[in-house]
Amino acid sequence: MAQFLEQIINGLVLGGIYALIAVGYTMVYGIIQLINFAHGEIFMFGAYIALMLITVFGIPFWIALPLSMILCGILGMLMDLVAYRPLRNAPRLSALITAIGMSLALQNLARMIWSARPLQFPTEALPAIFLSQNAISLPGGATLPYRDVFIIALALVLMIALNRLIYLTKIGKAMRACAQNQVAANLMGIRTNQVIAITFIIGSALGAVAGVMVGLREVVTPTMGYYKGVAAFAAAVLGGIGNITGAMLGGIIIGIAEVIGAGYISSGYRLAIAYIIMIAVIVIRPSGLFGKSTGHRA
Amino acid sequence: MKNKLTPKNIIFGLFVCFLPLLMYGLDAISLYLSQYDIYLNLPSGDYMLRIIVRAYLYMLLAIGLNIVCGFTGLLDLGYVGFYLIGGYTAGLLMARLGVTYWIALPLAIINGALWGLLRGAPTLRLTGDYFAIVTFGFAELLFRIVKNEQWLIGGPNGFVRDIPPPALFGIVFNQNWHNYYHILILLTLVIFVTYRLQHSRVGRAWVAIREDEQAAESMGINVSRYKALAFAVSAAIGGLGGGFVAQFQVNISAPFFEFWESILILCMVVLGGMGSIRGAMMGAAILGSLGEILRPGVIIPYQFGGARYLIFGIILILLMRFRPGGLVLRKA
Repeated sequence: MAQFLEQIINGLVLGGIYALIAVGYTMVYGIIQLINFAHGEIFMFGAYIALMLITVFGIPFWIALPLSMILCGILGMLMDLVAYRPLRNAPRLSALITAIGMSLALQNLARMIWSARPLQFPTEALPAIFLSQNAISLPGGATLPYRDVFIIALALVLMIALNRLIYLTKIGKAMRACAQNQVAANLMGIRTNQVIAITFIIGSALGAVAGVMVGLREVVTPTMGYYKGVAAFAAAVLGGIGNITGAMLGGIIIGIAEVIGAGYISSGYRLAIAYIIMIAVIVIRPSGLFGKSTGHRA
Repeated sequence: MKNKLTPKNIIFGLFVCFLPLLMYGLDAISLYLSQYDIYLNLPSGDYMLRIIVRAYLYMLLAIGLNIVCGFTGLLDLGYVGFYLIGGYTAGLLMARLGVTYWIALPLAIINGALWGLLRGAPTLRLTGDYFAIVTFGFAELLFRIVKNEQWLIGGPNGFVRDIPPPALFGIVFNQNWHNYYHILILLTLVIFVTYRLQHSRVGRAWVAIREDEQAAESMGINVSRYKALAFAVSAAIGGLGGGFVAQFQVNISAPFFEFWESILILCMVVLGGMGSIRGAMMGAAILGSLGEILRPGVIIPYQFGGARYLIFGIILILLMRFRPGGLVLRKA
């Protein structure tokens, strides 16, 4: 029982992380119909940048986290500016191939800079509350580390903030307008390129947070963006790509499914579970669990 | 590719046919000169031949991928899956069941085609991004299976060892020059079949599907059938490549069939210009040799092993930005 409870908690934490990454995929797809393969790499850079800020520059964690978000936001914006914006009117296949090239380049850039060796956030530089022995004891012998509470809470807060941003602010309105019809939005005086850039910045910043969260629990490697990125993408597909609330719920479902699958079926198939869910959703119900079938699907 | 016996073509043909002789000739020359203390420092002929065989293999795979990506215009991110199927079909049959290569290779091709159809069936309705994602997931699943299922593969991490070389009438084909002619024959066959298909009713139907699926359908083309055919042929070529590589490598393991291999082959097709056999071959030749030069330890130090794929990624980005039609072909 205690084990099951801990698995569910693990799944929730992982789900929150996936949700944060999935939002980045789904926002970009919603507006420019591009699967931004390199988003997973931004997430990986988020973890590495925070790690470098803490270990090399000795910046405290609470400043390194927002700094990493800002830097990754800039990175995401640059990526859009350099690679995707020139292809706005090119065939969709070109943009998709560019995204794959970007992912390949960034992942191996990270491998060159930091080598393939897994790195860890130094425990002495982290706030004491994040150490794994500081945990709440739950009935039945299960423990809930404060670190996980922090991750779930932060993910929740960011999600709610994003939701408010999209539905209550002017820029959110502009984003929704672009998602519905970019040309019409442009004619109404919305600077679509600016809106797209902001979408990339927000998605990348959230991805960076997710990267730091993974760094708190696991190791940081150049391939983490690829593996976690695919699972998060599966979450976005499950929730109905382009649908932000769907991405959040999809993330949690994938997270729990992955942890339960790894715990009770076989740990070698940890990632395979996300792939299977993703393929099944695409083949059976491409609009996802929570998506309405829109006109412009793939 | 018209059948012209121009002097240029004849010289090229002779060059391809006698390349191993040239390589071993260079070996002999450098050995002879070393007696007089002149050292050419050439790589050995066997080493060069292995690189060339690998480049031919990539050409073969690029032609296969080009059928789905170039002719029917669907982005296949999981081509390595069929390569894996072929490799493990032939490898396991030969190493564990003792089946001869001449039976194992056709079986690898058939198995590849079967999996191509199997994967094709649910994806017939899908286009664009969704198709790409399903193909990607398919290859990754296969990769996980060979990596994890030890009872099936017989070794950890998908390791199959001691795959015997093919033999015929008591001659064992295990020399590098054997492999050279072996892959040359297979490649010629694949080029011939693909070329004939491209310039037939089938090839025209594929291009019509690429240009506009609905228009093709309304012109009476059975889109599902032609797409399925494209998947099967493409996958069969992948299976053939896998069948060859199993005996060429002697030992195969899962990392050999990782996702990035798919991307590498895709890079080749895109570099040459999608939809052209010659383009796919040129792309494979360029990236294949670039890959050898950039292999960690040659000119790039080991600690910068990522540089190779970094460069491939940048090539993809730059190509799409400045020359989406590919380097070799100028698209009108």
